Amino acid sequence: MSTKMDNYYYEKLEELQQLDFGLVELTLYLDTHPNDLQALQQFNQLAQQRQQCAHQFEMRYGPLLQYGHSLSRYPWQWVDTPWPWQV
Amino acid sequence: MNNQMREYYPFVGPFDPCPPIRVKTYVVPPNQFIPYQPMNLPQFPLHEALRRGTLWPALFSPYPSRCKGGYPQ
Repeated sequence: MSTKMDNYYYEKLEELQQLDFGLVELTLYLDTHPNDLQALQQFNQLAQQRQQCAHQFEMRYGPLLQYGHSLSRYPWQWVDTPWPWQV
Repeated sequence: MNNQMREYYPFVGPFDPCPPIRVKTYVVPPNQFIPYQPMNLPQFPLHEALRRGTLWPALFSPYPSRCKGGYPQ
């Protein structure tokens, strides 16, 4: 029996992707524009949003990152499917 | 063609081994014309930025695929 992930799982992952992409773009932008206040505020906002989104996801589906960057429930969830390439 | 697409016309000789390609196109993305990105440029909403590959419309380059099933951009 293969586990089937619900829509919320994919929506959350997509939202996480969007936030991460925005953060990457803003990081690169801020490297060359250190005194752009507006972009810096946007970056901090997105970073907070990203933390909340990742937290919600991890509370429901398990750890996103390893080696202490995410928490896990009992039993150890890291080995559960779907693995990143199976998503 | 949109403004980023440029064309050139290769030389076609009578002894060419293969059927001639008369028009070849290349893309000149907008970042070639912006030496230093100005501040506070308008931005795409995040979901669209992810799809388009950049946060700023001013830097967006569709880079359309020329094969038949090329994704419309």
